Amino acid sequence: MKQFLVFVIMALSINVSAQELFVVTEPASNMPTGSIGLRLGQSLMKEKFKPGNNYHIMPEIMWGANKNLMLHAAAFISNRNKNLVTEGGSIYAKYRFLSKDDLHQHFRMAAFGRVSLNNSDIHQEEINTMGHNSGFETGIVATQLINKVAISASSSFEKATNNSKTYKFPASQSNSATNYTLSFGRLMYPNKYKSYKQTNINLMLEFMGQTLNRNGKSFLDIVPSLQVIINSQARIDVAYVKEIYSNMLRTAPNGLYLKLEYSFFNVTK
Amino acid sequence: MKNIITLIIIGLFTIEANAQISKAELVATGLTCSMCSNAINKQFKAMPEVENVTTDLNSNTFTINLKKGNLLSPKSFKDKVEKAGFFIGSLVLTMPFDNIKAGDNVQYNAKEAAYVFVDTKTQTLKGEVKVQVLDKGFVTQKEFKKLQKTFSKYPSYAVNNDKNFHLKTL
Repeated sequence: MKQFLVFVIMALSINVSAQELFVVTEPASNMPTGSIGLRLGQSLMKEKFKPGNNYHIMPEIMWGANKNLMLHAAAFISNRNKNLVTEGGSIYAKYRFLSKDDLHQHFRMAAFGRVSLNNSDIHQEEINTMGHNSGFETGIVATQLINKVAISASSSFEKATNNSKTYKFPASQSNSATNYTLSFGRLMYPNKYKSYKQTNINLMLEFMGQTLNRNGKSFLDIVPSLQVIINSQARIDVAYVKEIYSNMLRTAPNGLYLKLEYSFFNVTK
Repeated sequence: MKNIITLIIIGLFTIEANAQISKAELVATGLTCSMCSNAINKQFKAMPEVENVTTDLNSNTFTINLKKGNLLSPKSFKDKVEKAGFFIGSLVLTMPFDNIKAGDNVQYNAKEAAYVFVDTKTQTLKGEVKVQVLDKGFVTQKEFKKLQKTFSKYPSYAVNNDKNFHLKTL
């Protein structure tokens, strides 16, 4: 397995030509100042221990507060209790603190943090403050863009708290985790730009890993995805999430992501 | 006396007219994708002083034609590009000059900014002239490091404020 990963990473590094609008991770760059992005994230994950699928909808609003600061607010809706129920929400901030830019390239770093509330039942050891756990996450992300190649890596600390009075965090589980991500992106089309109207197609490959701090249990997911950018303003992402390693309890690790996003420029000053 | 006042008024207007930037050719750094480029494009298009913008997406060069009577200084362009999340790699301005004496380390005061000519032979500038802005934030970070050394002979170059710009005639 490890050899396979090394191969994939090497193949991409040699061959890549890309964008950094990653599907499951955020790059170190922010949205333009004063712009507002609307995002509708959906995930359909196959239940591992029972029949059926776990469906989540996550509407999100994003705002470029200034050239270095970006804010997000999201709501979490899921079908865990048969009907679609709003289970919580989150607030996220990302601050870009380093930019080394040159023609067609940059190296950037940002610090980010998220606070989430969720009132659903806690049913797995994995900690995920994006739709499953109340708690917070804080970390650092670095992104390198060279010509059309983008590579991004992040590391974060994530802590889960009680989801509600009814659903307390189980004392037997680790309530904190360390997360790692590694993302690659490649522009497939067009070869040469003609106008803003041209549809862009990007291919992404992302790795997401987590280690629980108390017991060292961990998982690693691979997420290949296809991204279509329309009119330089709208984004459609389709991704497949596949667990490649895990020794912790996860109830629905594999499935599909569909993300729709639209940017409105110069909405605020 | 009246004549003097008239002359002063004409003089003032002349300076104002001279200072106008009629066109800006700007290369942005730090981006490849068209969505990123569009963020910069939309910043320019939202400026009331802008007549039109054309973009070469492959080189990230923006050609911005400006309306007459605008009082934009080079800072206006830097602010817009940085608001979009990127930086200026090069900025070439087309400015109409009316018999302005230019030369190495010669200062030229306009209404919206003060300009110092660098690396420029003694000459009289007439009509539309292309000048490149060479201050920090108007060239790539690497180029600025080099220029800091070569331009140490110009005391004003190290000052780095928003009202004083260093121009090289092209």
